[in-house]
Amino acid sequence: MNITESFKMAVDSILANKMRSFLTMLGIIIGIAAVIAILAVGNGATSQITGTFNDLGASTISVSTSDDATDSQKITSQDMTSLKNSSDKIERISPDTMTRGTASAGNNEKTAIMLGGTTDMQYTSQTMDSAVTYGRYFNTTEYSEGSSVAVISADAARSLFNGRENVVGEKVNLKTSNGQVSVKLIGVTKSTLEKMVGSFNEEETPGYIAMPLTTLETLVPNATKITSLTVQVASKDDIQSVSNQIVNTLATRHDSVGEDVYTATNYLQALDQVDSVLGLFINFIAAVAAIALLVGGIGVMNIMLVSVTERTREIGTRKALGATNSNILFQFLMESVILCLIGGLIGLTLGISLALVVASSLGIQASFNISSVILVLLFSSIIGIFFGVYPARKAAKLDPIEALRYE
Amino acid sequence: MIDLKNVVKIHQTGDEELIALKNISLHINEGEFTAIMGPSGSGKSTMMNILGLLDRFDEGDYILNGKNVTHLTSNESAHVRNKNLGFVFQSFNLMPRMTLLENVALPMVYAGVPAKERKERALEALTQVGLENRIKHRPNAISGGQKQRVAIARAIVNKPAVLMADEPTGNLDSKTTLEIMSIFQRLNREGTTVVMVTHEPDVAKYTKRIVSFKDGEIQDDQIIEKQKII
Repeated sequence: MNITESFKMAVDSILANKMRSFLTMLGIIIGIAAVIAILAVGNGATSQITGTFNDLGASTISVSTSDDATDSQKITSQDMTSLKNSSDKIERISPDTMTRGTASAGNNEKTAIMLGGTTDMQYTSQTMDSAVTYGRYFNTTEYSEGSSVAVISADAARSLFNGRENVVGEKVNLKTSNGQVSVKLIGVTKSTLEKMVGSFNEEETPGYIAMPLTTLETLVPNATKITSLTVQVASKDDIQSVSNQIVNTLATRHDSVGEDVYTATNYLQALDQVDSVLGLFINFIAAVAAIALLVGGIGVMNIMLVSVTERTREIGTRKALGATNSNILFQFLMESVILCLIGGLIGLTLGISLALVVASSLGIQASFNISSVILVLLFSSIIGIFFGVYPARKAAKLDPIEALRYE
Repeated sequence: MIDLKNVVKIHQTGDEELIALKNISLHINEGEFTAIMGPSGSGKSTMMNILGLLDRFDEGDYILNGKNVTHLTSNESAHVRNKNLGFVFQSFNLMPRMTLLENVALPMVYAGVPAKERKERALEALTQVGLENRIKHRPNAISGGQKQRVAIARAIVNKPAVLMADEPTGNLDSKTTLEIMSIFQRLNREGTTVVMVTHEPDVAKYTKRIVSFKDGEIQDDQIIEKQKII
């Protein structure tokens, strides 16, 4: 007797009781579908979040001073120079000082977010695009001299200059509650609106204007006493060591060792946290699904036991005709494995469809991999074998005389 | 062909011991057609189970077809049953979901015969019992007599040394009984050794030898001088 024969016998017997076979499989179907769907949606969400973090800059460190930091503990330009010189792993460094005010040119007026930083701000800023479409960004000389120059976002330029984007050389008046300054526009960046999610009314969203930190001081008192910095490292691998180094250097320079004034957070830490929360969630649901599979497996065992009892006479006859114990064992084991495998395949299909529906309604991309498919098939077979062994052994061990006499 | 020497079988039920077979010696030659008779509890069914290697016994020896089969493992007995013995049961015991052809081919599945040969030989066996036109039918579509003919085809398909029939006509009317007995007689004439358990003297008279059991012993063993031929 070979595998083809046992396979045929098993399929025949499953098809002989279609409804019962289906109901038996249901536990497996639900369990497998749940596992597949959860893994696909969970992995999709994880990679989506990871991707977002990478876009935002997994190589970015945010440095900030505590709320009760004294003026002498706040970060200075010299600190930034010193940090940049102390490590070649630091690629860029800039404060993220910003304020809200009004920008006006001629009769046009617009709400504006004004940013002050170093020349590196072109790349460290997460709100303003780094691509300069007209003109240029301010340079080191303009930064150190505190020149009255600024770079404007294209959408702000359009509002202030009647739809014109190339506004290099024009003047803009900036005003906040603390003062006002007139700056010369030397560059235009891509519209910040494009970077934002969804569509906004251009008139109602504030425009972005970037300038040297010292220039911003007219509009924001004490702007040069910096409370938050953005640092970019060349390689993600160095992010944790550089974060520690920054905190130590700043504490040393401001005589504040052991006072917890400076904190450096990176996205890696945040990402780890998200990962572990998601992981915990996935594991929890997977455990629930595993219980569903266990229950499904018990269902299979139950129905196989019923089947063995129902077919006692058949087993006796087969033995009389020359079936060995292992022939009978194999026949029943095959049946439970096929039952679980079919259940697994249906569950797989159902799980994939479910994942696609759930993922699209959540607006994420479900992530499938071939290994989870193989795992499902393997796992279904294992359930089939595990829960099929006992009934199959029971069948194989039947005494032929007793079995033939069974009514 | 069959040689039983001093066979003792004890049935153990709880604390009680019941001696089912008391020191039985029986010799059946090749080509014989033997009926085993006796009232219920006489030991005839136990005898049949032991002859069919479905049951073990406590003392004595059993030589089948020149081979001592007294101490076989369950796997070895399965192989001997498959190759050397053919079984016909009172209630036919066909597989309801298989076609007649598949039913007849089943013993060859366990013998490891290739599919194509199985088909040919099963068809040949069904032809011998006159059912070659119904090979695609299922057992529930044919009559009791036809079922028993399928069972006989299944029993002879591996060309066994001995055909064992346990009350083969017990579920059949008298006309069909004659049909079945005539098939047994024909197979016997063609050289098959047949052993049949029956409690009906009317059926036993178509055999060539009647061994009667009572209380676990052979009470009578007679050769029928003039076998009634159908």
